Amino acid sequence: MSGSSRFIADLSALYPALALIGASGLILLVMPFLRRCGGNSGSATISGLGVLAALALLIRLPGEGFGATLFAETLVTDSLSTASAFVLLLSGLLAVLIAQSYLKVREIDEPEYYAILLLSMAGAYLMLLANDLLILFLGLELMSFGFYAMAGFARRDGRSGEAALKYFLTGAFASALFLYGIMLIYGVSASTEFAKIQSAVAHGALHTPMGLAGMILIIAGLGFKVAAVPFHQWAPDVYEGAPTSATAFLAATAKIGAFVGLIRVLDVFAGGSQTLIPMLRVLAIATMIYGNLVAIAQTNVKRMLGYSAVAHAGYLLAAMVCVAMHYEGTAGARTNTAAMSASVFYLLAYALAGFGAFGVLAYLSSRDKDVQTLDDLRGLVQRDAPSGYALILFMLSLAGIPATVGFIGKWQIFYAVLIGGDMTLAVTIALTSAMGAYYYLRVVWYAAFESASGPDAPRQVGLTGAGLTVFVSAFATLLLGIVPGLLTGFLQVVK
Amino acid sequence: MILPVPTAHYMALSVLIFCCGAFGVATRRNPIVMLMCIELMLNAANLGFVALGRHFGDTGGQMLAIFVMAVAAGEVAIGLAIIVALFRTRETIDVDRVDSLRL
Repeated sequence: MSGSSRFIADLSALYPALALIGASGLILLVMPFLRRCGGNSGSATISGLGVLAALALLIRLPGEGFGATLFAETLVTDSLSTASAFVLLLSGLLAVLIAQSYLKVREIDEPEYYAILLLSMAGAYLMLLANDLLILFLGLELMSFGFYAMAGFARRDGRSGEAALKYFLTGAFASALFLYGIMLIYGVSASTEFAKIQSAVAHGALHTPMGLAGMILIIAGLGFKVAAVPFHQWAPDVYEGAPTSATAFLAATAKIGAFVGLIRVLDVFAGGSQTLIPMLRVLAIATMIYGNLVAIAQTNVKRMLGYSAVAHAGYLLAAMVCVAMHYEGTAGARTNTAAMSASVFYLLAYALAGFGAFGVLAYLSSRDKDVQTLDDLRGLVQRDAPSGYALILFMLSLAGIPATVGFIGKWQIFYAVLIGGDMTLAVTIALTSAMGAYYYLRVVWYAAFESASGPDAPRQVGLTGAGLTVFVSAFATLLLGIVPGLLTGFLQVVK
Repeated sequence: MILPVPTAHYMALSVLIFCCGAFGVATRRNPIVMLMCIELMLNAANLGFVALGRHFGDTGGQMLAIFVMAVAAGEVAIGLAIIVALFRTRETIDVDRVDSLRL
């Protein structure tokens, strides 16, 4: 194949990202005209169509060149990248919907929000396809830059600015750690390509102090992004302070991008160092216990969901331990693929429940009242039955109660850990899930059994974007909880 | 005859700069100074990339450093914008006094 036709063929893998970037550019281009016309529903429409186009291009993608490396080995398209990109774009669609009404209600409806959201998604998409540490770093940065800006988007609200500052300082610090890790790994393998690093690792590159430090720094950098203990301090503050629509988006997207990146990196490092699996195991156990323990004390639902995000990162890290068991015989290989599939499914389950729960908060918010505490949700079922029952469903899904998608996700991770033969992790997952049920069920209690404290604040009625997000998430949460095999064709990761 | 500086010396300097930056982020309380310290950490990585690239006879190392410079520039732009926006609502940017969200 000649150079230029090869380039065109390789480019087709990036069409979804190009659709996102194109839509973002279009919004920035027509923004002045949109502003003059008064309304701003145009930018939500453009970004929604952009994400839909990206989804369509992604579904069309498998076919020729599937499973191949592209652009001189820097990108790869395989079942992992396609499955996780599907989850990413689906949650991107929900993110646009939730923003459409929430930003309007909070009077921060600027077209830039959508442009930033789309660029951030394009960065996450790049992370999913990364086959080179440099690409992983660039994708991570593009994704994170969007998060920083979106967290501080409510400029008149000091708490939003504070969330942005805290997120930015910890996030930039984490990026610097990650980059230094890349530099050290480059030092032991003379390349940033995964394939070449893998062969250097097979020759004992991680046994040198430089390689070991590089590995630890890379895992720490990604650990910051997914809010693993001890790198979690930013999560509750950012979840609480950021606008609800931005919180929902960054909760789902950061996890999708960083965990798939972590899967790729661990796949490269697997078997190269004796410290890798014990280190991940300690991280996973500490994250599960700490997140669930501290979430119990929270009275602000957004903050509670921040600690719950830490806890869910812990469950996913348990799956990462299994991913790192790559080279330990055939059982290891089986564990490896089971854990990858489980992670992607879990990311979908978490995204649906997260968007649903934040969607309910956004749906209930009005100009004068940003709903975020337990008291605000008192007696919700009597006041507004559909959103009340939907909130209960999402809490049950986050807690992992059967007949919801959250249960299936947690079961898959549990199963992968069991066939990996790690009993400590399995017991920790079971115990901390029971602990987690307490604070999720407390929200259910407030919504269903407490009586409303005061008159209802006036809010938007009719079908809003946030309402639609809640509806779609609730539908998918129930459907996939009852028929989990529905998306197996998309979400199964095979080697 | 002038001998070239050994790569190990560059690496030692890089580690030193990185540690200075990390120490600064941990101890300083002014976000602008913290941002400068983060830049110091990124530049330590850059120094390592370039030195290692020379060591391996690989231009990839220098290319990596140029990418990192572009990323660092974007990072500074976003960071300063956030700091300015916060100063407008708070009249302070000291990270110890920006604490309305409980830690």
